[in-house]
Amino acid sequence: MAFTDRSDLYAAVHEEGINRVVRHIMQQRPSLFNYATPFFLQNPGLLCVRIKAAPEVTAAGNPLFTVQTPLPVLAAAQPVGLNYCLQFTDLAIDFHDSDTIKLPPELGTLPAQRLALYMKGCFGLGCLPEGYYADLIPLAEAVAVSRGDKPSFGLADIPARQERDPIVPPVRELTCFCLELYAVLHFEWGFIGQDEYLKVRLDGLEIVDLKPVEMENILECYAEAVLRLGILPRLSIRIEKMVLDITRLLRQQGLQAGQQISLAPAPVPAAVPHNPAVEDDQLKAFVNLVIQP
Amino acid sequence: MAHLTLAVSEATFKRSFDLLKRNFTFQDSDLQDYGAFTLGYDVKMHLEGGSVDLRADNTVQIKELDIRWDRLKVIIGLDVPEICVGGGCINMPWPVPDICLPKICVFSGDPDVSISPDFASLVAQEISFTGSLAARYFDVTIPLPSPDPCQLLRVVPLPGNNQWQIFVDPQTMDLDLFDFPDIVGNLIEDALTSAVTALIPGGWVRDLILAIIGGIADLIRAILDIPDDIEEWLSDLFNVSFGLLDFIGTLVLDFFASCNPIYSIDDPFEILPAASGLIPVRIPIRNLSVRAHDLEMVIQTDVGA
Repeated sequence: MAFTDRSDLYAAVHEEGINRVVRHIMQQRPSLFNYATPFFLQNPGLLCVRIKAAPEVTAAGNPLFTVQTPLPVLAAAQPVGLNYCLQFTDLAIDFHDSDTIKLPPELGTLPAQRLALYMKGCFGLGCLPEGYYADLIPLAEAVAVSRGDKPSFGLADIPARQERDPIVPPVRELTCFCLELYAVLHFEWGFIGQDEYLKVRLDGLEIVDLKPVEMENILECYAEAVLRLGILPRLSIRIEKMVLDITRLLRQQGLQAGQQISLAPAPVPAAVPHNPAVEDDQLKAFVNLVIQP
Repeated sequence: MAHLTLAVSEATFKRSFDLLKRNFTFQDSDLQDYGAFTLGYDVKMHLEGGSVDLRADNTVQIKELDIRWDRLKVIIGLDVPEICVGGGCINMPWPVPDICLPKICVFSGDPDVSISPDFASLVAQEISFTGSLAARYFDVTIPLPSPDPCQLLRVVPLPGNNQWQIFVDPQTMDLDLFDFPDIVGNLIEDALTSAVTALIPGGWVRDLILAIIGGIADLIRAILDIPDDIEEWLSDLFNVSFGLLDFIGTLVLDFFASCNPIYSIDDPFEILPAASGLIPVRIPIRNLSVRAHDLEMVIQTDVGA
């Protein structure tokens, strides 16, 4: 049986290929997946998870993580910031029908024509050792007393902006926790403006083993918003880019086609039962060449 | 299972081939001055007929593709040395004015004589070609052979990095420099069409007769093309080009094609460009293969670990 029995063009990508591409991006652009305060520039060994970067990254002097401002201590009269890091350490997908990613019971088994997404993220905070409090408290008290003629205890009295650089105490180790996120997604064709795109849609999402339930729900709510509004729209692929941009290829060869050449998905179910199809551990797209006079 | 698979059906190849034929034109002109003479050309061509076929033996066959010349002018100019007569003056005593002879020069132009015959209606070519596609890896660390047999034939410059390259490996080629069946057929068709048009200016009777003339001309073309068809069939059967011109043509094409890839993919392949001082993200490409059978052409590749 030929790949193109039911369409003019056929493109398939295997989950292992995508996972390898993701690993390459994570190793060659670690700053997309790791965020930390400047303290860790000199102390990368204290991060929650050691960053595995490609040798070219360190050779080029590229950052291992994106630098973030320290986490401000609310209500502190003297600005104080805490070191922290946020790291996305694992990212993998699994197209139906293998089970390389074991979904949590809340999401059930992976339905046909769906893909599973697994992501692991770790957060670490540099807690202040007791000794630092002994040094910082007298300073904070002095600033608080000198700030006004009446004592204040409410959060409404937090300075609107930090007037001085905060004191950021160094840390000897971070307190870290990691969360695992699982999601079930599917692909569909759809238009963005005039052009047809392959889009990724979210079906369900679960963060495992987080208590209380309300906190888990809040985090899942936020993660869903980030995925649906932030990340997934960026993964839309124009249909011409999936196979080959014929118009561009012709133009490169100096040919101006008199006809309109475009690509369109093979119709479902007349031509194919599923398009795009997520099966056999692959994402398959069946595409027709449309030539209009 | 390959990480990435792309397949193109034979039907799509045929439609793309038709599209290419309809839209492909080539035109060029040049004129060089060599002192005593000038040489030049002014040509325009397009493609007609022919068919493309993907075959079970991993080859692609293009059959009887006609090269039609809309303009095939050869410009020849001669620059004859200038010859002048007269121009001198006879001094006469005052008050008689000097008598001056008029100066007459010939061959003052450059060129003085120029002819530009148009051979478009007299010349037609037909090409048949069978070739297989092959993917090879260019490793920039391996030194080129010395002497480099591709040095003079290389049109595509050598890459500065590793690449997967796809080549067309010619098996047979049949080039008819003068496609006599088409030349004769065209001349007969043109002559008869002119005669009929002169006799019957318009109407359905004329259209009917012209349609019959077209059929007769096609029959003449087909009959005259039988020896060439047999030769092409034998070439295809034995996988050898018959005829000295075709044999030499295949050899040259073989050499030329083995030195010039039709498509190249960098290894590693850039998927995210360099930005704000960050290095580009590149992925290694492994095991690229391309193969054809009678239903489709398939390109497969893996992403390296």
